[in-house]
Amino acid sequence: MSQSRWFSWLVFLGSALAAIGLFFVPALIIRPFSHQAPSALVLAMNLRQRAPWGTLIAAIICMIFAVVLWQGGRPGRKIGIAVVLLLVAFSAVMSRLNYFEWMFHPVDSAKFETEAASKLDAGEMILAVRLGGDARAYPIREMAYHHILNDVVNGTPVAVTY
Amino acid sequence: MNGRTLHFYLAGINNQNFLMRDKETGTWWQQITGKAIYGPLRGASLELLPSDELSFGEWKSEVSDGRVLAEVPKYKKEYDSNWEPEVAKLPVVISFPGTELKSRDIVVGLEIGGASRAYPWESLAKQSPVMDRVHGTPLLVVVGPDHKSFRVFVSRIGGNDAEFFLKGADTPSSAWSLVDSTTASEWNFQGCAISGPSQGKCLDHVPALKDYWFDWRNYHPDTTIYRR
Repeated sequence: MSQSRWFSWLVFLGSALAAIGLFFVPALIIRPFSHQAPSALVLAMNLRQRAPWGTLIAAIICMIFAVVLWQGGRPGRKIGIAVVLLLVAFSAVMSRLNYFEWMFHPVDSAKFETEAASKLDAGEMILAVRLGGDARAYPIREMAYHHILNDVVNGTPVAVTY
Repeated sequence: MNGRTLHFYLAGINNQNFLMRDKETGTWWQQITGKAIYGPLRGASLELLPSDELSFGEWKSEVSDGRVLAEVPKYKKEYDSNWEPEVAKLPVVISFPGTELKSRDIVVGLEIGGASRAYPWESLAKQSPVMDRVHGTPLLVVVGPDHKSFRVFVSRIGGNDAEFFLKGADTPSSAWSLVDSTTASEWNFQGCAISGPSQGKCLDHVPALKDYWFDWRNYHPDTTIYRR
């Protein structure tokens, strides 16, 4: 194999590894039901923060060298290149999506009803907040699903979390 | 934050306490502490807004013109009325062996002047109202007439420490009240005197959080546990 072809493989696989790592390393670290060590968590946040741009740049480099390597490659190698490209594309897309919100959908625009109109049972638990004359109740059953709600109470922006 | 409104979204999980990020700066925030742990605003803290964890019935009896977050129809089937026992069965990823509580025991946690203490819910349910002292501050930890809501107050009336008792063990929950030993006044669950010499006075509220023991202990390594 010529020296330039070696170089192309090196860059192709290197950028592919970078793109795949930028998505999968943080995804593995901050997965539910696993322990997060402090240093691993910092690494995960660091990579995830850079992943939207990082995976895009890596994917472009990867693509360019894939084209170079495609010509004159053996069929087996071509399948390998295609699989790597798919993984890279998957990583680039997933780094720009928030899959945590697929599990727990956010509330896009919160609607409220008067306490008289609410059909909530008396025994249902709520988070209660009052600012000035504005008293609000956030049913815990709803908040235990959405987890976060961005709201404005009496002019003050609040983040309600459970 | 510094005059700028931030909007938060769910961004991950850190030992079963979730991580959120804000859309404006991408900073990572820890749910339980409200602290920015990574990103441009790292080191910043959100201001904690006082809140209560109450039953809807209790809240309704206290508030006359309140508003309730409506269900989002398309997620209605996701709201799980049985979430509490189900979550209690989930595995934990951090534990504190050697402490006298189990990871998923529910505690009411509070912090005063850097000292923190956890009140096992089981003890509160049996012993409420609980009189205690944390970092020199006399406290009243009380479970409401619905046996579900709770509040914590500084048990001081006009500068003097006071003790509180339930008025008559057989009183129906509609007539639920506390009586203090210093002025013999009657107090409601909002911590305000409704009759007697102290009428019109209200106790100071202490912020407290209902949490799983493992989570409270993780963020309050020096916490003590109330026991009696």
